[in-house]
Amino acid sequence: MLRARQFGTVIGLAVLCAVLWALTPHFLTVSNLLNIAQQTSINAIVAVGMTFVIISGGIDLSVGSIVALAGVALGAMLQTGYPLPVALAAALAAGTACGMLNGALVSVGGLPPFIATLGMMSAARGTALVFTEGRPISGFDDGFRVLATGSIGFVPAPVVVMILVYVVAHIVLTRTTFGRYVYAIGGNEEATRLSGVAVRFHKTLIYGTSGLISAVAAIVLTARLNSAQPIAGMMYELDAIAATVIGGTSLMGGQGTLAGTLVGALIMGVLRNGLNLLGVSSFLQQIVIGVVIVSAVLVDTMLKRHKE
Amino acid sequence: MTTAEPPVLEMRGIRKAFPGVVALDGVDLTLHAGEVHMLLGENGAGKSTLMKILSGAYRKDAGEIRVLGRDVDIQSPRDALALGIRVIYQELNLVPHLSVAENIFLGAAPTRGLGVIDWRRLFGNTSRLLNDLGMDLAPATPLHRLSLAQRQMVEIAKALKDPSTGSGQVAKILVMDEPTSALTSREVDRLFALIARLIAGGVAIVYITHRLDEVYRIGHRVSVLRDGRQVATKRLSEVTVAELVRLMANREVGDHFPRQRTAPGAELLRVEQLGRRGALSDISFSLRSGEVVGIAGLLGAGRSELARVLAGADRSDAGRVVCHGQIVKFRTPADAIRQGIGLLPEDRKAEGLVAGLTVARNLALPHGRKLARAGFLPRGCEERFAEPIVKDLRVKATPTQPVRLLSGGNQQKVVLGKWLAGDARIFIFDEPTRGVDVGAKVEIYHLINRLTASGAGIIMISSELPELLGMSDRILVMCRGRIQAEFSAADATQERVLSAALGLAC
Repeated sequence: MLRARQFGTVIGLAVLCAVLWALTPHFLTVSNLLNIAQQTSINAIVAVGMTFVIISGGIDLSVGSIVALAGVALGAMLQTGYPLPVALAAALAAGTACGMLNGALVSVGGLPPFIATLGMMSAARGTALVFTEGRPISGFDDGFRVLATGSIGFVPAPVVVMILVYVVAHIVLTRTTFGRYVYAIGGNEEATRLSGVAVRFHKTLIYGTSGLISAVAAIVLTARLNSAQPIAGMMYELDAIAATVIGGTSLMGGQGTLAGTLVGALIMGVLRNGLNLLGVSSFLQQIVIGVVIVSAVLVDTMLKRHKE
Repeated sequence: MTTAEPPVLEMRGIRKAFPGVVALDGVDLTLHAGEVHMLLGENGAGKSTLMKILSGAYRKDAGEIRVLGRDVDIQSPRDALALGIRVIYQELNLVPHLSVAENIFLGAAPTRGLGVIDWRRLFGNTSRLLNDLGMDLAPATPLHRLSLAQRQMVEIAKALKDPSTGSGQVAKILVMDEPTSALTSREVDRLFALIARLIAGGVAIVYITHRLDEVYRIGHRVSVLRDGRQVATKRLSEVTVAELVRLMANREVGDHFPRQRTAPGAELLRVEQLGRRGALSDISFSLRSGEVVGIAGLLGAGRSELARVLAGADRSDAGRVVCHGQIVKFRTPADAIRQGIGLLPEDRKAEGLVAGLTVARNLALPHGRKLARAGFLPRGCEERFAEPIVKDLRVKATPTQPVRLLSGGNQQKVVLGKWLAGDARIFIFDEPTRGVDVGAKVEIYHLINRLTASGAGIIMISSELPELLGMSDRILVMCRGRIQAEFSAADATQERVLSAALGLAC
């Protein structure tokens, strides 16, 4: 569902692509676009969970650390010789458990989401480091690595996973009672509670969803790197928040779409890729990305104020 | 009180309208130096609006204001401050973790240049000010260690300070809005001693209260507002308590309350000795099928607290609730909803609606489980669910419009509609017609009739006495967390209900 507000970001993405195409002909080639899609997929997946949490009026700073922890769990299981489905299930369970603990701390414990997930960010990272003694777990068989190296037609597997996550999550967010409650809780938690909705339970589920989706990203990342690293996923939370807010989701909660988040993630990915092609130093890139994040939200805020 | 010099304040023909209501219609108020002027009126009579115009929080639509005989134009709170007008609101605006001195001089602390606070002068100025006012407080005490009454003293000192010297009294007009509502009787004595000291120094005080005993203890004159009009200004030596109550209440009870009474049926709800610490105590009553039980009381009497406890929004800590013959314990609103209780909350924006969602999605919010198939909402099911409710209640909107775009009356209908499609048999309506236009009001009254005719029971809380008298079968009057009196529809008059609400009758 693309509303008028997202048109701004879509136009922004189009303009960005046009400029980069004009500056460097190499930008608009099939291989480069697929490359962008593949590079974007991990951040785009993590941003799905972040979008759920932010629409519900919260924030999740622990997604990057959960990516590392779930990845390490997966790597250890695979290396010990567990069958692939069991290892995948264990990774997903680890991510979901961390997320639900976040949710319980917020909804039952009454902690601000910022604090609860900040704690989890540190604790989950620490657990991954302790468990691996700081060393990466590397070398998996091809049956697992196909999640990164394989493709359906010309579409690389990580992009396929990303598309699947977006389709499923979009259906959940727009077509289920759970999705409806995500918006309702973010829009007015007290009114939702007085309507008889089990707000605590659903908040726990929302953070659990974010943990689950972070674990999906961890699986793709581990396959791509052919290595599970306890220091993986650093700063992923910031990229995911950036993609979400560029996509028009309000940090105040109550509104936002996954289509917007996908466009937001693509803007970040295209920008990084384009700046690389143009040979802009990685130091300078950080400045440009910072400016883009702030101006995207600034434009959005001004448009909204204009409409009121 | 000398009348030879010009009055400290003259407000003439003040008028203020908000969309849909005229809050003030030609109100006059004159204050002399050294006078305590009591301002009386029911909730919504216009007292606060008048004071907000004086303090620059609102702008008047018409009328004139003179201070010490000079025409003034109060455009902002800053203008009012410059004219020596100070307001002490019911909610204190203090920072708990700063000291008494820092709170009093917040934003105006003496500095030694570059924003470095001159602590010695700050504490010195504070001591002098507290001394002048006869307040026994240490300037360095953190505010959170003080009692509520002491905090109020700090608020008064803050209002009266002269930022440049720290002492003296630049305030000429002091407005106090129900300053004693949270004080013990000894603390009240201390406050009144302070007021006596202030008026001796030439300050004029506007004192808003619901406690009629206070009116006679410290007031010189009294003005009574009713429905935004000024009904009287009198010397207190010339008016009795009974006359004051009549002045506040006397309104035409028109026949626009189309209550159709039905014979009450089986008991739906019984409340026995219900209590909640600091809010409610010893509440007992019952509600029968086909009945409207009205609950009257002033702000803070515990009416909304009772509504929230009965709807499972807050928990009780004493007594019990019997619903359809069974003892029930509500831990969440969902528990109450399962027992067929629907709440229309007092503040529809904060508690009733999710403003960003559509009409249909708000209406469907309590019914998600019923509408969904295995958690999935079939396409358009909420709109189909909402359509008949929207039509039935004549909500002037389509199901797909966000509710924030609707008028107050239509929003209220959406909150009502949330419970109409369910199994609710017990409705708790907390101020159902507040901020609603006349047409929608009448529609809500008709809806109440329809619900009771079909066997539902309604608890209606309202600050509008004529509405309460016109629509209720019985009226419970609450005062300070208790049920003070109960009247049948035949026995209830505005004077009797208001006297009980003011705590006079018993």
